[in-house]
Amino acid sequence: MALTAIKANKSRGVLTTLGIVIGILAVVTTMTAANGLGNNFRESISALGSDVLYVSKRPWIITGNFLSFRNRKNLDLKEVEKLEQRLTSAKAINPSTNTNKNVKYRSKTLEGTTIIGTTDKQLMVSSSVPGDGRFLTPFDVQFKRNVCVIGSEIKDLLFGDVNPINKKMKIGRHNYRVVGVMEKQGSAGFFGGPNFDKQIFIPISAFAKSFGSRNRDLNIAVKAAPHISLSDFEFEVIGEMRKIRKLKPAEEDDFSINQMNQLVGAYNSVMGVIVSIGLVITGISLFVGGIGVMNIMFVSVTERTREIGIRKAIGAKRRSILSQFLFESSIICLIGGLIGLLLSIGATALISKLVMPASLSLPIVSVAILVSVATGVLSGFIPALKAAKLNPIDALRYE
Amino acid sequence: MALEIQNVSKTYMMGTEAVHALQSVSLSIEENEYIAIMGPSGSGKSTMMNVLGCLDTPTSGEYYLEGEDVSKMNDDQLAEIRNQKIGFVFQTFNLIPRATVFHNVELPLVYSGTPPAERILMANDAIERVGLTDRATHKPTELSGGQRQRAAIARALVNKPTIILADEPTGNLDSVTGREIMAILDGLHKAGNTIILVTHEQEIAEHAHRIVKLRDGQVESDVRPNRVGRNADVVLN
Ligand SMILES: Nc1ncnc2c1ncn2[C@@H]1O[C@H](COP(=O)(O)OP(=O)(O)O)[C@@H](O)[C@H]1O
Ligand SMILES: [Mg+2]
Repeated sequence: MALTAIKANKSRGVLTTLGIVIGILAVVTTMTAANGLGNNFRESISALGSDVLYVSKRPWIITGNFLSFRNRKNLDLKEVEKLEQRLTSAKAINPSTNTNKNVKYRSKTLEGTTIIGTTDKQLMVSSSVPGDGRFLTPFDVQFKRNVCVIGSEIKDLLFGDVNPINKKMKIGRHNYRVVGVMEKQGSAGFFGGPNFDKQIFIPISAFAKSFGSRNRDLNIAVKAAPHISLSDFEFEVIGEMRKIRKLKPAEEDDFSINQMNQLVGAYNSVMGVIVSIGLVITGISLFVGGIGVMNIMFVSVTERTREIGIRKAIGAKRRSILSQFLFESSIICLIGGLIGLLLSIGATALISKLVMPASLSLPIVSVAILVSVATGVLSGFIPALKAAKLNPIDALRYE
Repeated sequence: MALEIQNVSKTYMMGTEAVHALQSVSLSIEENEYIAIMGPSGSGKSTMMNVLGCLDTPTSGEYYLEGEDVSKMNDDQLAEIRNQKIGFVFQTFNLIPRATVFHNVELPLVYSGTPPAERILMANDAIERVGLTDRATHKPTELSGGQRQRAAIARALVNKPTIILADEPTGNLDSVTGREIMAILDGLHKAGNTIILVTHEQEIAEHAHRIVKLRDGQVESDVRPNRVGRNADVVLN
């Protein structure tokens, strides 16, 4: 019976549910985006390792004056050696450097590919492993061999169906032999961060030989031994670096220690912004929609005053009338919510295609349905109460 | 005693002026009585019916329905009384226009919490008693006045109430249809119901066994004519 009443008010209903539609679209899209972002972020940072510090020239996330970091001295291999001798609680130390080069196999070229000069210890400081072939060995590094290990996406783009192992490819103008393919990481790159599947590892010594070592900045990954806490380890690394750099006590550090936590902070603030924008849009639309539904329900109650009188005359109690109208307002909002959900499927597909992998999950769908029904109950409550409290004889007399 | 009102008054405020629709009316109605309330327009007949039917509460006075003090009951308790003990038939039918005859008749059962399977049986049974089975799936707008009033009577008796209140049930009908409706009410009386009927037509009133006349919110006369009902039927035909 509630449904027939809604059908009668169809055009009005469609207009007023627009707010609900937008509200549900906003809440679902926000949650889906936040979810996708979370997955993406976890994949990205898991590749970095949680017990690894990165000694670099600059912090990853620069909050102050960018220029103040430019005059800092580059980190070099001698400092890596000294750090290796001095650090007592390090499990592994791995220097790396990178550049962008065009890479080529036969007639296919990939422009601006990330080339990372590193050592065999790369595997100890990150979670990525070769899926095919092998990684760089100490011998590759010692003898400056022109060998490379390529990311899975490089393999797909450059080699296609060809098995790349032992194939010769060009990095810049230099010939390199492929010895391994890294396992797929699956992260599309966290907000402009690196795509781990689209990079090539070569021995750092070969890197220097091919692309020069002057004015090249190094990143030094230092992995903490299992027994030491990361903050103690950071304290030790900073102390030893200051000694190596011969800094006086009053002088500031002229290097930066980076770690995953910084990304977590950045992630949290990005997430916070997205979620709060989403919630504000959701809140406003649901509020506007709720007011609209409340209006429609007031009209519905007034139009059906006589009907309410009849129902009361034959024995409807307050709560029967109350639930009849609450049911009606919930159905109106649920319809709005379902339309919003349908639109969200489109929005999610768009996010998936343009920004990052994202999908509608069952909990999100349930939240959307719950939120729309709750909006219906809330916005229908005052009109429904008005109906429930009508005096039967006054309602029956209403013209 | 089925119904008993004592010193019941009902006063409406029209702006600053008080309208005394009922003035200290007392009346006792026995079980299975067939009573007609008559009087000129504005004499308080409908007000009295609404009080007796628990649709309205008196300004002062007491009302006992089957021994229960109704004047002390709240909204929901009155709704339950209306649902269980009283069947109301209105001059304007008061059917829900969007619902079919069946759904209109079923509705009191919904409010009494009767299980669906039983509802279907009971509603169809009531519809059959008023001879409207072939119109059960029609909406009120597709029915004649007489058929609408039959539907309303079916709704009034579906919950098997003891008391049927009919406020000018034939007021909107032609005399032939009116007689058909009265025949149904006579039948309900024979089946044991207490019938209270408001009318200003002498012919209709003669179906009852007791006639109460109101004037200006007070009882003018209360008579039990010598069983003229049957003779009246003969005269009418
Ligand atoms: N809701 C109301 N507000 C004000 N006056 C009313 C109301 N209902 C009835 N009255 C007045 O009470 C008196 C009795 O009305 P009513 O019981 O409807 O008379 P009847 O049914 O005999 O024609 C009339 O004077 C009428 O105008
Ligand atoms: Mg009247």
